[in-house]
Amino acid sequence: MSELTPKERVMRLLRKEPIDTMPFFSGMGMVVMPGIEKAGIKFASVHTDPERMAWSAIWSARLMGFDCVVVPYDMTMESEAMGNTISLYEDSEDILYPTIPEKIWSTMEEVTIPDNIQELGRLAMMPKVIEIIKKEAPELAIGCWQLGPFTQAGQILELDMILKGVFKQKDKVNALLNNLTDMIIKIGRMLQASGCDYITLREPGVAADLLSPRTFKEFIQPRLTRIMEAWQSPKLLHICGSTDPLIEMMNQCGADGLTVDIKCNIAEARQKLGNDVLLMGNIDTYAMTCDPETPVETTVAHIKEIIDNGVDAVMPGCDLWPAIIEANMKAVADTTHEYGKKPSPAVGRL
Amino acid sequence: MASKEEVLEKLKTGVVEYLEEEVKEAAQQGLDEGYDALELIMDGLAAGMEIVGDLYDRHEYFVPEVLMCADALYGGLDILRPHVPEKEGGLNAQVVIGSIQGDVHDIGKNLVKMMFDVAGWEVHDLGRDVPLENFVEEQLKTDSEVVAMSAMMTTTMLGMKKVIKMIKDKNPDVAIMLGGAPVTQDVANLFGADGYAESAGNAVSEGIKMIGRLREMQNK
Repeated sequence: MSELTPKERVMRLLRKEPIDTMPFFSGMGMVVMPGIEKAGIKFASVHTDPERMAWSAIWSARLMGFDCVVVPYDMTMESEAMGNTISLYEDSEDILYPTIPEKIWSTMEEVTIPDNIQELGRLAMMPKVIEIIKKEAPELAIGCWQLGPFTQAGQILELDMILKGVFKQKDKVNALLNNLTDMIIKIGRMLQASGCDYITLREPGVAADLLSPRTFKEFIQPRLTRIMEAWQSPKLLHICGSTDPLIEMMNQCGADGLTVDIKCNIAEARQKLGNDVLLMGNIDTYAMTCDPETPVETTVAHIKEIIDNGVDAVMPGCDLWPAIIEANMKAVADTTHEYGKKPSPAVGRL
Repeated sequence: MASKEEVLEKLKTGVVEYLEEEVKEAAQQGLDEGYDALELIMDGLAAGMEIVGDLYDRHEYFVPEVLMCADALYGGLDILRPHVPEKEGGLNAQVVIGSIQGDVHDIGKNLVKMMFDVAGWEVHDLGRDVPLENFVEEQLKTDSEVVAMSAMMTTTMLGMKKVIKMIKDKNPDVAIMLGGAPVTQDVANLFGADGYAESAGNAVSEGIKMIGRLREMQNK
């Protein structure tokens, strides 16, 4: 059996070509405290500096045995580039991701997206981040991501307005989602042109515990499809929360692979999708990688069970919370590599 | 002249069908007819919200519908609550509620707040992105019986553990409720909380079930 580099392993899997063993990678955040500490920096400072972001990502992957890095880390870059102020929590002792505490717009009509948004604010530093990682860690696959239009709408306006708007202000919601879809296509293309190896569209705000499958079909699916059509491969679609009623519609959006979280019944999803669709998931991220009460053996058993349920790659169901328990985190990557030597439903082995 | 049953039915149906204006009209009509405001709240508005909870559990309603029902309920509550004599206003209890620092999501928190509002509790809403020590300070200042915290993300959930410890160190009798998507019963136990709602969605149905239990208590 020939040994692939982590990047080759990920890229071949995404093309459904035979691999040596299952990679451990993600479409969502993979930065962890050991990597941040090794880079000699504080969590609040990783979001604003290309070197810090790149090195915290590289060290996280190298120390924990990940096959990829994923950048950026937070969900506020686009909203910030539109003029919102972010909170970095620089004085907090806790690990807190940047947020938008107060939004500048209070109605859907007010939202204006600059034509050159991909060049504004921290979005402008992403080509540099990707360049550093490509140069310093060519062995790792580089994943980037964009929030889907509905979830992104919640970063620039109050989410309850959008949710109610689905019933009460359909035209305005449609116009807003169309504008955000254009923006997401544009930023995704910028990330791809900058050299990211795969891109993930994350739309957690539309899970079936929040919106009805009917609303998904009417408001969400057409936009996710349009984004997927506009982006190059490899491209993934991630929805966390309840996805059992949505999984077939997710598959119709045109992604090269689907990623889901712990609420998805993988075995059932596999039955519905057949063996040709790349299906990834669904690690219980807090319980298995952060909870100090979880024995390593339990984490190992969890990973094996996910593989046995029929995923093509074990993937966290969400961003990893940075303060992982190292032994459990390494066990996740190691077990994936060791137990993943047999073929998965959609991907053979060398 | 509308009978009490007719008014209650209008309030209930208005909440279920998220007809805010009709709920307001029915609430005013109930007061004009001289019916008991607390009864209109509990057997009209809250009863409607219980049906909403069932519809949500059966996946007939989703979060947008529940939010619109909540608006309708508040439309009626704002009219009726001032007419409930203070000592009959419910359990005369107080709750401190908020979304934890780092978390700017407050839909689940607001729905749970609604539950306490309906039940006539005095609600001290700290809003969202609340620094940890503010929960402790507000509880001490108000001597509230319950502190309810919500986190939508794993990344912010860990702050709850600190708040629980800070509060319990100073006042072990305070009941602490946790809610939000990443919080599980195991997490709630591990953090030392007294109660929890399984997810943002579950917070809705749990909250609504609590209204049901409060109605039962009221009727005894």
